[in-house]
Amino acid sequence: MIGSQSFELKDLPIKIIWAVVFLSTIGLIVLKSISQHHIGGVFQNPFSKQILFMVPSVIGTITILFVPRYTIHKYAYALYAISIIFVILPFFGSPHAGTYRWLNIGLPFAVQPSEFAKIFTAIALARYLSDHNLEMKHFMSIIIPIILVLIPTSIVMNQPDLGTAIVILAPVLPMLYWSGARPFYLFLLLAPLFSMLMAFHNMAFTIWAIVLGVTIFIARPKTIMSFGLFFGNIFIGLLSPFLWNSLTSYQQNRILTFINPEKDPLGAAYQIIQSKTAIGSGGLFGKGWGDGTQTHLKFLPVQESDFILSVIGEELGFITIFVILIVFGYLIVQIMKQSYLSKDRFSSLALIGFATIFLSHVFVNTAMTVGLIPVKGLPFPFISAGGSFLIACYLMFGLILKLSVNYSD
Amino acid sequence: MLKAENIVSFRQYLIAIGITWFLIIVLLVRFFQIQIIGHDRYRKKANTNRIRKITTTAPRGLILDRNGQILVDNLPTYVLTAIPGELSQKGEKFGLISKTIGLDSTIVSRNYKKYYRGRFISTRLAKDLTFHQISKLEENKLNLEGIYYQQFPERYFPSVVRASHILGYVKEVDKSIRATIKDKSEYELGDMIGWNGLEKKYESYLKGKRGVYFYEVDALGREVGYVEDLPPKKPEPGQNIITTLDINIQKTLENLMEGSRGVILVGIPETGEILGAVSAPDFKPDLFTGLMLEQDWQSILKHPDKPLINRFNQGLYPPGSIVKMITAITLLKNQEFDPEVEQICEGSYQFGDRVFGCWSTQGHGGMNLTSAMLNSCDVYFYKSTHYFDLDMLSNSFRRFGFGQPSQIDISGESSGLVPTASFMNKRYGRYGWSKGALLNISIGQGELLVTPIQVFNYVNLLATRGIAQTPHFVRVDQLPENIHPNYESNIWDRIVSDMRAVIVDEKGTGKSAQPNVPGFKVFGKTGSAENSHGESHAWFLGWAEYYDKNYSIVVLVENGGSGGTIAAPIARQVFSQIINYNDMAAR
Repeated sequence: MIGSQSFELKDLPIKIIWAVVFLSTIGLIVLKSISQHHIGGVFQNPFSKQILFMVPSVIGTITILFVPRYTIHKYAYALYAISIIFVILPFFGSPHAGTYRWLNIGLPFAVQPSEFAKIFTAIALARYLSDHNLEMKHFMSIIIPIILVLIPTSIVMNQPDLGTAIVILAPVLPMLYWSGARPFYLFLLLAPLFSMLMAFHNMAFTIWAIVLGVTIFIARPKTIMSFGLFFGNIFIGLLSPFLWNSLTSYQQNRILTFINPEKDPLGAAYQIIQSKTAIGSGGLFGKGWGDGTQTHLKFLPVQESDFILSVIGEELGFITIFVILIVFGYLIVQIMKQSYLSKDRFSSLALIGFATIFLSHVFVNTAMTVGLIPVKGLPFPFISAGGSFLIACYLMFGLILKLSVNYSD
Repeated sequence: MLKAENIVSFRQYLIAIGITWFLIIVLLVRFFQIQIIGHDRYRKKANTNRIRKITTTAPRGLILDRNGQILVDNLPTYVLTAIPGELSQKGEKFGLISKTIGLDSTIVSRNYKKYYRGRFISTRLAKDLTFHQISKLEENKLNLEGIYYQQFPERYFPSVVRASHILGYVKEVDKSIRATIKDKSEYELGDMIGWNGLEKKYESYLKGKRGVYFYEVDALGREVGYVEDLPPKKPEPGQNIITTLDINIQKTLENLMEGSRGVILVGIPETGEILGAVSAPDFKPDLFTGLMLEQDWQSILKHPDKPLINRFNQGLYPPGSIVKMITAITLLKNQEFDPEVEQICEGSYQFGDRVFGCWSTQGHGGMNLTSAMLNSCDVYFYKSTHYFDLDMLSNSFRRFGFGQPSQIDISGESSGLVPTASFMNKRYGRYGWSKGALLNISIGQGELLVTPIQVFNYVNLLATRGIAQTPHFVRVDQLPENIHPNYESNIWDRIVSDMRAVIVDEKGTGKSAQPNVPGFKVFGKTGSAENSHGESHAWFLGWAEYYDKNYSIVVLVENGGSGGTIAAPIARQVFSQIINYNDMAAR
């Protein structure tokens, strides 16, 4: 029975806990290496700062274990609304390094509300989708969840913080899939975006048109709808180059730099080169802890957060990177397993949402460090330094543990 | 409640897991690619990233005359450089620099662009700065972060002689020059490379080795310390080279040719050493150091007398009568030819439908070989051409080094032209030329073209009876092998005595080459080579025996007129000076 749950340690998914402990330890070891020659106060030293933030993080995790599950469900929308307000607040202050990501609330450090917004967006989405179970077979019923995520996404994108915006947006697709939406509808959601992008390349657009046609044919909606979808997408695609050309070159450049910051060679491209050099020079076993020349001679930018994996690659080698990524894959798969095993719709949806948040963090951060995608400025969960981010990760960790516990109800 | 039922199907769960592992594997593959496959490349990159190499230019070797007098020296100057990676607010700093040292700031930023090769490679901003300018910059050091200066030895010419075509000059290595250099590690942008003359030929001796030291730096360019396993290396100065030139003789030659166009070469016949060489007009050797102004360049490039051309090894001239010794040798080799039989010179000679004139229009009368040589009678040689054919004659020319480079140690040498029958066939067609061409070539006219350095080697070979060594400016261990024409001694005797007659006979065309000094024995031959540029080129070649020393000489005055009246007196003046120096040295 809900409310009379008995909480026992042995019920916790121990594999998830071990994975998080392992990753956090690696993070501290690497931050210790980076911080060796740091001078200045506690808040200038990534290692001591991280240790310090561990305290509220672990307290937060444990606290969540004692919060009843129905409370989380009950306040899901309220927390979502509050987090949206906090994400908007920085826009009323002065910009911090040219962005509106940070909120200064009189502490010796600034808070990044978008880190928490992503958690509450996923919870709100889980609640909406678990409450509206039966209508999911209709296309229109996926509209409200989409709007639910697009609100924080668009605000965060304007901060601007494309990386976090992607992370907030990412859970919606697997969560819709989890709640029974037809994959075809999910495809239709993405189709106009693809149509617009592919339109700039003739060959790509032709292939895309074929893929679109085949998919619609296989899905077999009503004839009029098929034609509408197909030609609607083609029309959007054909229109987009005209829309693009109607922009001034200044506007075009802003969009291009936003999508691909590497266009600015002294900025992002330099960072990517330094990151790849650090990783590549590490080799199989690395140069040894504290011996990374790229790291310690400060060739590697934002090494304590966005490029922490490059430090690991340089000092501890491919072998450690391999272990970290495998452990992280294992962690995510364990969360997914809990989601699959869960008999509770809300818990299952929230868990797949958190798994997606972690996966997108790991993928975007890692792919950026190795130059697979443009620089997005996203930290690596449990390893990267960062106050708000660490607390947010541990809150999610707590929520995962809480929602994973199988109740004898 | 749907109590016992899972929310999602096992298939959905598998798809989610599949996507997760797929993405993880993509990342791992990428890491493998960079860390394992690309390891070597990135390791090298990481090393150059953190180690900054600073190089110091080695001073080039000096160039000295045979007595150790310095012809080319080094002057310490300073260059101003910047490390681009450390340079912020470029514009302001360049402005401050130009204000401090009084140099146009556009020059500074233009240099920066010109020499830029990378963020951590020192990039030249200005050169030829004085110590005074550097000390002024030092006062502003705090505002000039990222700006450095280094000592840079610049070529400098302390001597009274110019010798510009011999010494040559150095050029700054720019991007286009560097692109042509095979071993890129040898030269950096802004280094000096020998570009002409001895500077070019002996580049490998003169160059020296750059000094290098390595600093470990952080990404902000701050020096963290020396790199232990890469100890600093001091620059090794280049080797000095001692030339065969005599500064006094060189000065004499330059003075004599002041205001004329032409060449004088003086040397020692046996060894091939060149004591003095001038190609007039010449230029000041320091023309190419420092900042060369565009208008200076243009005035030199467009000068009608082409001072940049090295006439003694690039200039092609008709030799005229100075090659008559070769024609005489060709005749003497024929057993049927009798040098004592006289031919009548009436001032001209009809051959087929053409009339070939002698330089003396009223005619020389009866001539044997000796009188034909000392009078430089042309008709005598015309009338003797039935003793040989063109290929026999051209063969003799080649035996004295004509038609091929003399292998002088200054590059850019021309080969000249010795026409053969096949050459004539090729140029004019098999029936397009007649034996009349042989008449012209036998007196050193027609298609025949020579360089003064070839003539110099020729006179050395005559003076030594074929054993002279290759002409050279720098005594090296292994001189290139010279050609050694081999004839019976009676032929050599005859030629030598005839050349003596040219100087001492009452009618000898070369008699004004003899200085009035007892014991100074001159041998020679004059030439007045007709050409399409106006007056004849005045030639004199010969040698002098003075005690146990021999001196050979070639004089050419372009469009000077008669060799006997223009070139021979110049030779006498040179000989007189040589006697003076010898006397001074003896005292």
